[in-house]
Amino acid sequence: MFVEIMAIIRRDKVGPTMRGLDAMGLGAMTLTTVNGRGLQGGNVMTDIDREVPAEYESVSKITKHLTPASFALSHSLTRPVFWIPKRMLQIIVPTPMKTEVIDLIMSVNRTGWMGDGKIFVSPVEESLRIRTGERGIASI
Amino acid sequence: MKMVRAIVRPEKENDVVLALEAKGFPAMTKTHVFGRGKQKGLKVGPIHYDELPKVMLMIVSEESSVPVIVDVIQKSAFVGYEGDGKIFVSPVTESYTIRTGEKAE
Repeated sequence: MFVEIMAIIRRDKVGPTMRGLDAMGLGAMTLTTVNGRGLQGGNVMTDIDREVPAEYESVSKITKHLTPASFALSHSLTRPVFWIPKRMLQIIVPTPMKTEVIDLIMSVNRTGWMGDGKIFVSPVEESLRIRTGERGIASI
Repeated sequence: MKMVRAIVRPEKENDVVLALEAKGFPAMTKTHVFGRGKQKGLKVGPIHYDELPKVMLMIVSEESSVPVIVDVIQKSAFVGYEGDGKIFVSPVTESYTIRTGEKAE
């Protein structure tokens, strides 16, 4: 009856994605700040990310005063671990709307560069609105 | 496909990530979460801590590699004391790569 669509997207695409979903009448969603890494293991190269100045050969995600490399040194790790900040958007939709929502998220978020993100679809068994106790389709 | 969610000690996060990477699972998502377990948190004298910081790692993979992932996480996150964390496995019916529009089931 419902499916949960979990999209891990770029931070700067949250606004356009939400506006697109609003236009479809899906205003309800959950957003989480997450860090992620993909098949590249979190490495950001200039040829992957246009935002990175050309003089950098490769940059890593830098948390305020600590780089992954210095973290690795101070914690005697064999190599640094890289993470890229992302937003996770979770939205529960009726099964018939699934493809429509996935198409929208894909068209808004596609830049053609690595790091565009992933979409996962998983089943939801039950849904309940706490305020009124409504169940099923009335609750979303 | 399955999603493996592991809630581990923050200090063990790097060990788990490096161990998974060594086995060929570099892709994952992490969130910092707060939680408590069966022991209802920690009690140190009169002070009760019931929101303990943990790291949640989410890995989506083929069903066949779930046992390997679970095993690797369990071995690398193990300390032997309460608070080591939990691993949950849940179903994922489809997954898409936004860049290419590729679909996997």
